[in-house]
This record gives sequence, C-alpha cells and structure tokens, in this order.
Amino acid sequence: MKRFITAFLAAFIFTFFWGWLLNGVLLKDVYAQTPGLWRSQSEMMSLFHWIIIGQALVILAFVMIYASGFAGGGVVAGIRLGIMLEIAAIGMRLAMYAVQPFPGKLILYGSTAGVIEMIVTGAIVGAIYKPAVRHM
Amino acid sequence: MNHKRGFPAFITAFVFIFFFEFVWHGMLMKSLYMETALLWREQPMFPWLILGQAVIAFAFTGFYVSKIGVNCPATGAGYGLVIGILCAGGDLIRFSVQPLTTKILWMWIAGGLIEFAVAGAIVGAIYKPLSSSTA
Repeated sequence: MKRFITAFLAAFIFTFFWGWLLNGVLLKDVYAQTPGLWRSQSEMMSLFHWIIIGQALVILAFVMIYASGFAGGGVVAGIRLGIMLEIAAIGMRLAMYAVQPFPGKLILYGSTAGVIEMIVTGAIVGAIYKPAVRHM
Repeated sequence: MNHKRGFPAFITAFVFIFFFEFVWHGMLMKSLYMETALLWREQPMFPWLILGQAVIAFAFTGFYVSKIGVNCPATGAGYGLVIGILCAGGDLIRFSVQPLTTKILWMWIAGGLIEFAVAGAIVGAIYKPLSSSTA
C-alpha cells in the first residue's frame, strides 16, 4: 500500500507540473487562437480544484490498472501501459476534434505531449510500485 | 492471445460504442449541446469521429485481450468501470477549462461509466483465451 501511495503521489506531481508546462506555457499561443472555446483565466482559477481532482482520478486509475495487471514488470511494463492508454486517449482526441472546432495542431501537439506524458508517468509508476512480497 | 476471438470482440465493441454515443450524445444530450452551441461544430466531421471511436475500441479491446484475457463479462465490466473512472478525470479537467454546463459534465461522466462498463462486459463475454477455446 505504501508503494501504491508513493507511486500515485510521484506520478500525480509529475502530471501536475507537466500539465502546467504544456497547457499554461508551451501551448498558450495555440489556445489563444480559439478564445471562445475556453473559460477566462479567473474562471479557470475558481475551478482549479476540479483540475486537481481530475488529474488525481486519472493517475489513481493508472496506478490501479498497473497494480492489477502490470505489477512486477518494472519501468518497461509501466511504459507499455502508458502507451496503451495513450492510444485510447488519441482516439478520444480525434472524436473531440470531430465535434469541436479546435485547430488541428492542438490535437497534434496534445497527442505528442500525451505520448511523452504517459511514457514518463508509466516509467515513474513502474519504477516505484512493487507488488507485496508474500512470506511463507 | 486468441486473435480469432479478439477481432470479433473489437468489432462488437466498436459497433456498441458507435451506437451508444449516437444515442447518448446525438439524442439524449442534444438539447444540452444546443445551449452551448458556440462550443461545437455545426456538423460533426464524421470520418474523424468514426476513426476516433475505432481507435478507442481497438485500444480498449487490445488492452483487455493482452492483459486480462478472461472469458467473463463481470471482469470485463469491472475493467470498463476503471477505464470509465479514468475518463471521468479527463471530463473534470475539460469542464474546468471549457465553459461547459454542469449537466453536460455529469452526463459525460455517467455516459462514460455506462459505455465502458457495457463495452467491457461485451468484450469479456466474447473473448476467450486460446487454451480454453481449443480445449
């Protein structure tokens, strides 16, 4: 359980800072091209706790899946899980692009960054989480 | 891995996801989307929508087949629920940054949980691992 919580916290902290760097700094100009699709800065700040809860849910599900089917495989298994989940996330971004007038490059950059994010998240979880050793 | 059972599981999951989303988003949630019309395209880009749903079904089924791989609808439904929780996290983040209504948020979360639990049950019911299918 201790390893589970540590893996969750480490991956969550990475995701939080990666999300800030990506969406708050690197893609800022791309978001600025479609201001009507986004909340104002002050609105986003008032809903910031939902971003934290959302990221925590994503990472919790990630670590749960890793612990139930990948544990013991280490960093490689974590990266494999990250890539598998990111493939599904790319499908969701494509479906989102089909119904919302996002610029195509936002989907492209978001998916590229998503691959990096999930690989690193998987590596972190795989490096930290170890299945409990059962003593005879 | 039993590809002979994995492929029909993928096709069935894809067909279910397509029709579920058509009913859930295209019919049940239509009025909610009309309230926020500026956020949406006038007409969906169907090739991208179908490709996206196919990729989701492929990843969802592929993951089950390669890592869980048991012939059990309940196990599949449980797997789908965990994926639904993961999607709910994404929905919360989207709600925080896009001017969506809370009704849309809750319908997305409920829809995601139902959709993936049922898709998981379908995949779990269709897929059989190689050893039991040849026995």
